[in-house]
Amino acid sequence: MADTPRDATPGFDAAVAGRRAECDGGGPVLGTRYASRQEFAGTITGEYVDHGDPAWRWYLMTDLTLKPEGYPGDTVWCEKNSIFFADEDDT
Amino acid sequence: MPKNPMQTKFCDLMGIEFPIIAFTHCKDVVASVVNAGGFAVLGEAMHTPDDISADIKWIRSRVGDKPFGIDLVLPASAPGADTLEKLLAGIPEEHKKFAQHIKEKYKVPEPKGAQALHQWGGLNQDIARAQIEVILDEKAPAFVSGLGSPEFMLKAAHERGMKVFGLIGKTRQAKRELEAGVDAIIAQGYDAAGHTGPIGTFSIVPEVAAIAGDVPVIAAGGVTHGRHLAAALCLGAAGVWTGTIWLACRESDNDMIIKEKLIEATSDDTVYSRSVSGFPMRVLKCPWTAEWAKPEAPKTLNSPYQMLLSSDYIQAANDHRRADLMFEAAGQGVAFVESMKPARQIVFDMVEEALAAFEEITGELPE
Repeated sequence: MADTPRDATPGFDAAVAGRRAECDGGGPVLGTRYASRQEFAGTITGEYVDHGDPAWRWYLMTDLTLKPEGYPGDTVWCEKNSIFFADEDDT
Repeated sequence: MPKNPMQTKFCDLMGIEFPIIAFTHCKDVVASVVNAGGFAVLGEAMHTPDDISADIKWIRSRVGDKPFGIDLVLPASAPGADTLEKLLAGIPEEHKKFAQHIKEKYKVPEPKGAQALHQWGGLNQDIARAQIEVILDEKAPAFVSGLGSPEFMLKAAHERGMKVFGLIGKTRQAKRELEAGVDAIIAQGYDAAGHTGPIGTFSIVPEVAAIAGDVPVIAAGGVTHGRHLAAALCLGAAGVWTGTIWLACRESDNDMIIKEKLIEATSDDTVYSRSVSGFPMRVLKCPWTAEWAKPEAPKTLNSPYQMLLSSDYIQAANDHRRADLMFEAAGQGVAFVESMKPARQIVFDMVEEALAAFEEITGELPE
């Protein structure tokens, strides 16, 4: 991930590796006080990074089948709670 | 004696008089709304930890023990970051030429100083963590996550006696955050300014209220009048989250030109556009958004490239106070921004309007 963060601990979670998921993503708009939402769908690789303490876990999603128009690349990091697995009931 | 509809479970939770939350980037508005009996949340996404600490102390000096909130935009996804030079080099020539065409057509001058965008740190979880740490250290009465889930810091906040609210755009996000233990859910509908979810306020609020149990649900998106407050309470909300209504108030530090534009605007004067940042966001219409909406315009780029394209237009418009070019994020409720009222008057008017709406229906007012 970007500019290796100071308190980042990488790991691998086999329980989620290879699962299809959607990510209700987004974040602050660079240089502004605004935010924006972005939606992704793809495969969770199992790779994660825990930032800081308490751990703020981020998973890597690849093979994107849904991404914003013009989004560069085929991967995105998704915060753990923004991920909704295709084989789970979210209702 | 009929129940007072203004006395909601959100008022009970926070110990406030009126279920109106003002979201603002101006701490004077926060102080006025809180002292008028409402609740207010200061947006601090762009501020350093030192600034956030100073703002919390300033607010406390004006409101005493009355509660208020601090909002950050926690990210929910992140691409790999890149250097500014590589990002600028990634903008296609066609888009640079189109942006230049807009600047020439509307005679947009050069910005006066270095662009704030180019000085910002970019997407980095370290920034958000440093901001959260100071909010926890200062024990702000409430922390609000304006986008991503606050789950990872809930325990630390609750241990400090803080409340944590999450703002969501879909019901499944609400379910996730309710399971995590947030103290209130802000259900934001499509009518809102800035980053809205895809679902209308009228639809998402009752859907989230149906699964929230005892957790207060706050209706967000298009709320600018007491009738919206009354409607939100009927939809199952325990309060309203308001933003646009404060942009032109007397305490707001917005430029007077922006205040006048907001007062003149109606719901038809906002547009949900990707042309500002590459992300869809609702803003007042302006030449920049109009030109990018034309059929001959190139497709907007993704963030951050589109933001890099628009940033000198935006900064120049603001530096030179060009009323014809300036714009602001605004929700569809902007029609009820009718004057530059004091913030406390907005609170009292909204409550009276809501009570009058209930009286129209029931024929009686509570004592």
